Amino acid sequence: MGARILVVDDSTLVTDAFEILFRAAGYDVTTAGTVAEAVGHGRASSIDIMLLDLSLPDGDGLEVLEMLEANGRLPRATLAMTGHDDPKIRQRCLDAGCADVLLKPLPIGEILRHIERHLA
Amino acid sequence: MTTMSHKVDHADTAQRLKSLELQAKEAQTTIEELNARDALKTQFLSNISHDLRTPLAAIITHAEVLRDGMLGDLNEKQRESVTGIVSGGQQLLDMIDEILTYVRGAGDQLTLTRTEFSMIELVDQVRMLNQALAAKKKLTIERLNGDDLPPVYADRDKLKHVLGNLIGNAIKFTPEGGRIWIRMSRYAQDADQLVVEVGDTGRGIAAENHELVFQEFAQVDASPSRPHHGTGLGLAIARKLVELHEGTIWVESELGKGSRFFFRIPLNPARG
Repeated sequence: MGARILVVDDSTLVTDAFEILFRAAGYDVTTAGTVAEAVGHGRASSIDIMLLDLSLPDGDGLEVLEMLEANGRLPRATLAMTGHDDPKIRQRCLDAGCADVLLKPLPIGEILRHIERHLA
Repeated sequence: MTTMSHKVDHADTAQRLKSLELQAKEAQTTIEELNARDALKTQFLSNISHDLRTPLAAIITHAEVLRDGMLGDLNEKQRESVTGIVSGGQQLLDMIDEILTYVRGAGDQLTLTRTEFSMIELVDQVRMLNQALAAKKKLTIERLNGDDLPPVYADRDKLKHVLGNLIGNAIKFTPEGGRIWIRMSRYAQDADQLVVEVGDTGRGIAAENHELVFQEFAQVDASPSRPHHGTGLGLAIARKLVELHEGTIWVESELGKGSRFFFRIPLNPARG
């Protein structure tokens, strides 16, 4: 199995699409739809890349990072995903420890390039 | 008799005043109701645009996975068909993004993030992004000058959006084989202002429609059979973004003689 990716988004349409994409690209994929679920997966196994949506039904996506850090289980790299091209949101994500902020939606070629770059 | 008539006048005036006050109050209530409805409509547009974006993004991702052969090889016809899904989805997504930008502008939620950058590089970047679309109609897009201009202190992304909308419109409304150009200069009456012109050899706009084209949802040809479809927001957004820069936008055009869209912004406004 390839590197392990955790996709966190409250829409199963999005997580399903990413699951198919990353599996096809040879990665090991897990998905989560809430902060609690994402923290659960992060604690249970080590994650290489976490793709993190910011608005989740049970809280702010960045809380996942905070909780995983408290448990010493931070992924190698977290890429925040947002639909808003807002410099303030971007800075908030970087301050919280995200390695990058991706503007949704991104062409799959670019998503895969970002993942490869952060795994290198 | 005189006193009596005075009394009647006084009573009459008081009654009129009361009636006017009542009317003013009613008008105020109507304005408040309309504002509240307008805010609701704006919120609705914002929510629906956001909610449309998510499933559409998922459709595009699935189609891209198929198109790129990640789930197995496709024959040429299958690939063409899936490519159509991707580009149609992309076009819809662009329209939704346009609506979202408009809604944020209408709600005064747009702010500027100024940096210093080269306008020539930005123009060339937007030109490159539109090259493929222009080539399909055998149109040329040239930047005629600008190499001697100093950098501008403005919001790069928002001016990219303005240029994208102006060049996109020029491509849309210029018949095959035409020319599109971008010219930049310092404003003749104030050298601290930059004027950018996007011109085309398209069908032109009649004088009575010069203001209309900058109004939201306005299309000079709004009939269902019109040849060019879109949100009708592109130029309204361009105007909003230029005005955020304390600039102005206008068009000079005649039917059948092409159009020249201009915007003027301060080159280097006081840094806050």
